[in-house]
Amino acid sequence: MKVAYYPGCASHGIAKDVDIATQLIAKDLNLELVEVEDWNCCGGGFMDDKSEEIHTALNLRNLNKVKNMGYDKMATPCSVCLNSHRIAADKYEKDPELRENVDERLGRANIKYEGGVDSEHFIWVLIQDVGIDNIKSHVKKPLTGIKVGTYYGCQLLRPSSVMGFEPAHNPHSVMDLVAATGATPVAFPMKAACCGFPLMGSNPDVGLKMANNIFTNAKGNGAEMLVHPCSLCHLQLDATQLKIMDRFNQKWTMPTLYITQLIGLSFGYTPEQLGLGKIATNYLRSRGF
Amino acid sequence: MVEEKEITVNIKKYDGKNDPYWKTYKVRADRYTQMTEVLRRIKTEQDPALAYRASCHMAVCGSCAMKINGFPRLACRTMAFDVMDENNEINLEAMDYYKGIRDLIPDIDTFYDRMYKVMPRLYADESVIAGENEQRMTPSEQKEVWKFQECIWCGLCVSACPSVRMDEKFLGPAAHAKGYRFIADGRDTKTEERINILMDSAWRCTSCYMCYEVCPQDVQPVIAIKKTKSYLNEYKGNTEVTEMARKHDDTVFDLINNTGKIKESTLYLKTFGFGEAIKDINYMRKEGKLKYALAKDNDVKNIDEIKKIMGDKK
Repeated sequence: MKVAYYPGCASHGIAKDVDIATQLIAKDLNLELVEVEDWNCCGGGFMDDKSEEIHTALNLRNLNKVKNMGYDKMATPCSVCLNSHRIAADKYEKDPELRENVDERLGRANIKYEGGVDSEHFIWVLIQDVGIDNIKSHVKKPLTGIKVGTYYGCQLLRPSSVMGFEPAHNPHSVMDLVAATGATPVAFPMKAACCGFPLMGSNPDVGLKMANNIFTNAKGNGAEMLVHPCSLCHLQLDATQLKIMDRFNQKWTMPTLYITQLIGLSFGYTPEQLGLGKIATNYLRSRGF
Repeated sequence: MVEEKEITVNIKKYDGKNDPYWKTYKVRADRYTQMTEVLRRIKTEQDPALAYRASCHMAVCGSCAMKINGFPRLACRTMAFDVMDENNEINLEAMDYYKGIRDLIPDIDTFYDRMYKVMPRLYADESVIAGENEQRMTPSEQKEVWKFQECIWCGLCVSACPSVRMDEKFLGPAAHAKGYRFIADGRDTKTEERINILMDSAWRCTSCYMCYEVCPQDVQPVIAIKKTKSYLNEYKGNTEVTEMARKHDDTVFDLINNTGKIKESTLYLKTFGFGEAIKDINYMRKEGKLKYALAKDNDVKNIDEIKKIMGDKK
């Protein structure tokens, strides 16, 4: 199966390991990820703080590229990119005045938005198109006995009227995928709370507090590792985790993986092949991986 | 004949002093039974001491906000059969965040305090008040404020908001929807004052869409907050939060406008300054991520398209 693939800036930057692991397991699952031609940043979460019209137009440019490539679906590994494209398409459809402005902007670049492309999260594709049983059949090294906190964050789930894949207050996608690897999913009360990343550009003190709450809540509920579905959660919870632990004087760390990295481990890839960070790599070594 | 079922309702009881405890009731209900009706049956038939608020039973008064199976909702807009689990069981608790008074009744004075801080009424021009002029509004203005004036002051968004809990300077979702509603209203005369009240607070929102999700009136407060943030250039004040927001916001815009993408290393440097950026890069190095931080992605080839899309309106 072929899918148009939108990696997003973070997974081509500091969260590169999100892209590495996603590409690896996609190949095993016979999913051909065809990168969207000459894609631009969706501006997710930030550009609409400046201009709703520009934000919408930038996202529709990407969706139009997908359409021109002959696909009706665009998969992204990043919850923020997902939310951004879905919100943009939704606003465009429902708001005639915004549509007029956006059409004018796109028109300057000779782009005519035609619609007909659905943005989906890579994990939706895994569950709906690949199937949990198919994923299970590729597991070579079950992660039996590892307790994995299943974290969803915000942008994958809310608003459910626009995202639509699963109930925002009772999600199960990440849990289903973790269970498929043989690991034990650990649900915790803050599984759908915000990781604080969106505040890092204006009010980082509170942003870091939010991240610390996620770690503490997951650990308190028995998780020894954490998985999440978002490139920007990855920056916050993995790349700069040591900053958070320092700030709040925590003497422990929480190995944090992007969901396809966990699936990759169960498919038999090494932490190095999956681009894992040092915290997770060291922990997995101690558990015999 | 509509089928009736016996449902089990667990209610978190609280007497205002001692620790809360759960009490279980059995009630008959059918697929037309609202949760406020379930509560009325319990109170009149089994437990006259049960305390809850409910007035209009039609999602207008906002008084029956509570947590139903852990999720913030209006009881009147919730059908028992839609929320009960496979054992026909439903859990009811008072809203989070507010101080409890009795059972399902919270003290939402702090919610009203937040609302009054944003001057929740129209300040019309003197000439209109004197009867010399008409109060006119264009259809486009009406459309812009419509959604945000539908708030029924139920308090659900504030109870569910993570920024409210962690940041006392954040005014909360409902107050922002109300505040923006008057910024966007051409009849109002206090726009500058409103921007002064709202701007620092707006940048304390973490854009998690929780308020959008729980609002029973589809007010979408987070969208009002984002629209308020877009007035940053008209804001004459300067706080630590808005100063950082300005740098971050402008850098994001320039990066996308010039390269079509966000380059994290540039964004770090320009937002946090050299010293802070170095500290973060050191944390990333310790976590083995430095190689990714220094990697460079391709710019958008057809950058002219991006510049045209982002340019000022002709």
